[in-house]
Amino acid sequence: MKKEKRPFWVFPWGYRESFAVVITVAISGFALSFILQKEVSAPTWPNNIITGVILVAAILLFHIFFPKHSFVKWLSGSYAAISSISFYLFLIILMGFIPQNSNNSLEILNGSGLSHITSSHIFLFAQIYMFLVLGLVTLRRLERFSTRNIFFFLNHFGLWLTLFAAGMGSSDIKRFTMEINKNEPSFQGINSKGESSGDLGLALQLEEFSIEHYSPKAFIINAKTGDIMSENQIFSLEKNAKGNLGEWQIAVKDFIEYGIGMGEKFHAVYDIGAAPAAYVEAKHSSGNIVEGWISCGSFRFPGNFLELSEEKLLIMAEPEAKSYLSKIKIYTKEGEVYLADLSVGRPVSINGWKIYQISYDESKGKWSEISIVELVKDPWLWLVYAGLIMLIAGAVYLIITGSRTKNSEL
Amino acid sequence: MKPDDFTIFANISLISWGLSGIIMSILFFREVFADKKHKFWVIVAHFLAISGLISIIIFVVELWLLLDRPPMRTLGETRLWYSIFLVLVSYLVYLKWKYKALFVSGIMFGVLFLLINMLHPEALNKNLPPALQSAWFIPHVVVYMIAYALLGMSWLVAIFGLLPYFRKQWKGRETVIADNLVYIGFGFLTLGLVFGALWAKEAWGNYWTWDPKETWAMITWFAYMLYIHYRFRHNKNKITALLILFFAFILLIICWLGMQYLSVGANSVHTY
Ligand code: HEM
Repeated sequence: MKKEKRPFWVFPWGYRESFAVVITVAISGFALSFILQKEVSAPTWPNNIITGVILVAAILLFHIFFPKHSFVKWLSGSYAAISSISFYLFLIILMGFIPQNSNNSLEILNGSGLSHITSSHIFLFAQIYMFLVLGLVTLRRLERFSTRNIFFFLNHFGLWLTLFAAGMGSSDIKRFTMEINKNEPSFQGINSKGESSGDLGLALQLEEFSIEHYSPKAFIINAKTGDIMSENQIFSLEKNAKGNLGEWQIAVKDFIEYGIGMGEKFHAVYDIGAAPAAYVEAKHSSGNIVEGWISCGSFRFPGNFLELSEEKLLIMAEPEAKSYLSKIKIYTKEGEVYLADLSVGRPVSINGWKIYQISYDESKGKWSEISIVELVKDPWLWLVYAGLIMLIAGAVYLIITGSRTKNSEL
Repeated sequence: MKPDDFTIFANISLISWGLSGIIMSILFFREVFADKKHKFWVIVAHFLAISGLISIIIFVVELWLLLDRPPMRTLGETRLWYSIFLVLVSYLVYLKWKYKALFVSGIMFGVLFLLINMLHPEALNKNLPPALQSAWFIPHVVVYMIAYALLGMSWLVAIFGLLPYFRKQWKGRETVIADNLVYIGFGFLTLGLVFGALWAKEAWGNYWTWDPKETWAMITWFAYMLYIHYRFRHNKNKITALLILFFAFILLIICWLGMQYLSVGANSVHTY
């Protein structure tokens, strides 16, 4: 018996209709971008919460009043889901190939929004479509209670909530960079556009900045071009270190952690601008030996290199930071004073702000007199995290149960 | 111990796995063509696979001690983990489904990845930038490598499904294995993505910035999500499912290894 072919656009909708919807939406999105020539920005407070309420209300109304309507059934079903996932996947693949937010793109990419996809109409539509499908399928599956549906809920509602909170909240995120020093408290930061933050309700002062470095590394460079010639080889300069770089056997005879060069020699001096220095002996495979001091120098004192041959120099690279820490004093509007240790990856929370260690005066390294911190306030973060935690639980379930496809189903 | 001393353990693994794969493939062809069973040699293959795993674990521990940091930073270091998990997964898949061809190809890819590492040894750089010194570093990398191994196996399954399909003698056994590998692999992929977001928030104050690497991680995630949903209701058309699976892994490889060749990759903060 041959199945009769269902006419286009007659319910129940399948792939054809789902993809027709997606293509229509995509074309309208492109057209809108062309006509308006404007980027879409996430709605700002209170418009974001209004948009959110409207979206949630739409999902709830569809679900409560028309649960049996073929359109709602379609919108909460796998055909719509597959078209929605494909649509989104298509857009992010474009993002993966077309450099985003760069100015030298082709005109056509700018006009259609393809050079800034996340702030284009088409992306907005793709996201709304996914919101609706995910929201409706979550509600539909909630009606039958089973362990499997709990995890269905965790995966789908978790993703829905994450997208929702991240989308709604993106315009409410406040982010300011602040340079702090020891002399006086700083009250204001600047945002990415260079605008001042105004009063933050906080003031920060640097008590002490400290940094720990890895041992500096030695490289052989081309004297003319400066290119590194001992690539893929690592030689750490520390006391008594021995090893090979290219055709040279290197031995460290003396190592000073903080030194200053005077004439040909480096002396251990602990003063602002002092830099590591090493007395090295380099022995060529031909037996030729050169020795002398090398140092990376600093903003205040010159460094030194060793001439291995006419075209080869042995240099010390500036040591890389292992960790850095700012002891800071935080003054609140209420008159409280807190002391805190700030380091990378260990932000400090206070009055709704999270303070991050971002950088320091890198030209001065250890002798930096400032610390650069970032203050971030994201009132929606807890909702994003709630979504992410659900996703974790859902993922653990997938890992434990695997698929339910069995041989018998084939 | 010097690095040269303990590379012996990687060599042992390389040889054990290689032999195990060869024995298994010979058994496979004998079974296909002569319908003979060889219990003894199966046991030898098991033994070699396991001793290779033990030996490579010793190697990783030694490397970890020598570097004084988790050996998970460079591309070569991720390849090392990948080869371990790939062999582990193909072994487990073999134990569960007795699919010899998968075991052989999985273990051979593990050998290949390890071999690339042995032929192009990386400089032993002990440095770990402050942002990587985080409790999230290890779980983030490990779950991703497990996910990549599972999904890599699912790619092999897709190929083994597609080949007989085009020769019109396919029985469809592969989809069962593929579904299980993808569900579990997708779970790990989700964990990797979420851990990455949580880590980024702690280290840089942003959980998501659409950095090219993040974009590609999202692409990979959605590609496998597509497979799961395509399979859910449309059990009949398995060939499209296998094709999705085949291309999803290509996207995964671009995300993992191909970034440096893309023009967008140059702007990524994720290096290696
Ligand atoms: C975290 C990501 C996701 C995971 C882990 C996931 C997982 C799953 C699984 C395992 C199923 C099969 C359900 C079952 O066996 O009972 C399923 C079904 C489904 N999913 Fe997803 N999914 C995800 C994202 C999405 C997205 C983004 C959409 C929508 C755009 C979606 C819409 C659907 C729909 C409509 C079904 C069919 C449900 C039904 O008809 O009962 N899912 N999903």
